[in-house]
Amino acid sequence: MNIYETPLPGIGVRYEFQAEGGDHVGVVVRRDGKRDIALYDREDPDSCKGTVELSEGDASKVAELLGGTNITARLDTLSHMVEGLSIEWVTMPAAGGLTDKTIGDGRIRTETSASVVAVIRGDDGIPGPEPDFTLRAGDTVLVMGGADAVRSATSILTG
Amino acid sequence: MLAIALPLEVLPEPETSHAGAVLIELGVILLVLAVLGRVAARLGIPSIPLYLLAGLVMGDGGFIPVSAGEEFLAVGAEIGVVLLLLLLGLEYSPEDLRNGLKSNWAAGLLDGVANAVPGFAVGLMLGWSPTAALLLAGVTYISSSGIIARLLNDFERVANRETPIVLSLLVMEDIVMAVFLPIVAVLLVGASLLQGAIAAGVALGIVALAFVISMRFSHHVSRLVHSRSRELLLLGVLGLTFLVAGLADAVQVSAAVGAFLLGLTLSGQVADDVRTLLPPLRDVFGGLFFVFFGLMIDPRDLIPVLLPALALALVTAVTKIYTGMWAAKRNGIGPKGQWRTGLSLVPRGEFSIVIAGLGVAAGAESQLGPFTAAYVLILAVVGSLLMRFADKIPPPGTWGGRQQSAPSVAAPSPARARHIPPT
Repeated sequence: MNIYETPLPGIGVRYEFQAEGGDHVGVVVRRDGKRDIALYDREDPDSCKGTVELSEGDASKVAELLGGTNITARLDTLSHMVEGLSIEWVTMPAAGGLTDKTIGDGRIRTETSASVVAVIRGDDGIPGPEPDFTLRAGDTVLVMGGADAVRSATSILTG
Repeated sequence: MLAIALPLEVLPEPETSHAGAVLIELGVILLVLAVLGRVAARLGIPSIPLYLLAGLVMGDGGFIPVSAGEEFLAVGAEIGVVLLLLLLGLEYSPEDLRNGLKSNWAAGLLDGVANAVPGFAVGLMLGWSPTAALLLAGVTYISSSGIIARLLNDFERVANRETPIVLSLLVMEDIVMAVFLPIVAVLLVGASLLQGAIAAGVALGIVALAFVISMRFSHHVSRLVHSRSRELLLLGVLGLTFLVAGLADAVQVSAAVGAFLLGLTLSGQVADDVRTLLPPLRDVFGGLFFVFFGLMIDPRDLIPVLLPALALALVTAVTKIYTGMWAAKRNGIGPKGQWRTGLSLVPRGEFSIVIAGLGVAAGAESQLGPFTAAYVLILAVVGSLLMRFADKIPPPGTWGGRQQSAPSVAAPSPARARHIPPT
């Protein structure tokens, strides 16, 4: 599933995806933390059939009901609070980069000052992986740090 | 007479009754605004045109005289315009401004030319000075981001695909205003061409400085006023705002412009806090500003400008619609969405009044006030109605009886959208 992100100046960010059933769904994350869920009209794909406005609390409840976690939302607020903080989800390639190597092998921390904060493998989240943690193809690695550091860390990870 | 009147003046009594009269008038005005605000909400139109109308029927040539409180109203209106522009400047983050400039500058250019030129031309046709005509160009150019943002929310169109285009045009207009307002402020002082050019250069320098501060040092400015206590934050922000606005006024860049540039400069946590803290205060004083603007206008002066204002409203409604449709089409929006984009840009409001207010305060052109009042009254109301019924009004493509073409497949353009891996 592809999620597309569009900035809405003065309002927040809109995320958009097509569900497997064919419906286009949009989520607006407002600057004040409120969320709108919108269902696009099949006749007029630019407009919404309806929207649901959720408070921050409602949104996390709905996220739990849908079986998700709140990591993304919390990270969002975090990057708002620390100016210049960059957060990137890096998917490990089938081969090359650090795939099948340990995090320590990449010397990411020493060379780029960025940190590997968590690894998501399948349905499991592994917070704070040790340097001897071996990365596998398809793992999603959460990297944090300055924008340049995260960029160089990403190229180390993916090769 | 004089001998009898004099001793009365030194008595403290009239003083206190004057304060009472001011409070009574202010109370009546605020209550009228409260009632009008409810009426506007019921009718589904913005409150700005009704506030203007309230000002028009009060004061000189109106039905309700306002005399005692006029002095306070004048100060209140000035505070109102400063707060309005501070929050307008705050509306977009430096990042929004940067992205806006990058992505939609062509549409922004069309927007500027198509909507400012008719205003300028009509100003000249009415025999106004070039400066006054330039002000009118600003009035017709700038859409009301206040009205539009609120209506997008009310009509649940925030998630619509055309909405980023509407917003990015509003961002462009905001940027243009940052350059336009200081230049006009300088021209209004009545400088010669050379003086004007130098002063405009200085003004642009200040704008550039404000942008640099906003991009590089905004956290320093923000730390200066930031506080966890709402009271201290409010005092800090208001103090800084009034100080900057007053200093800007002292160097003849106009208080409104100073506040606007300060708004552009603030960002981060302080900007977020101010955005939640100041709107109620802005609404009260902003309401007073619109009333005061109407108050300064004799409704009888509206009659001679009504026809040209109506004609200009019609022309600039069409040019705005065209601008919006063009921009939407370029971004791959379907016909219905293009139509909604165009109609969404029609409302003019607070910014137009602020621009005209600068001219009125400087005595640029006696007709500018009434003309702008009539123009904004028409387009604030008509524009919001057009926006509301956008889906019910058939777009021009279907006017010839042709069946509308199939909706475009609206995949978001990959250039703007960022792909996020599933988590």
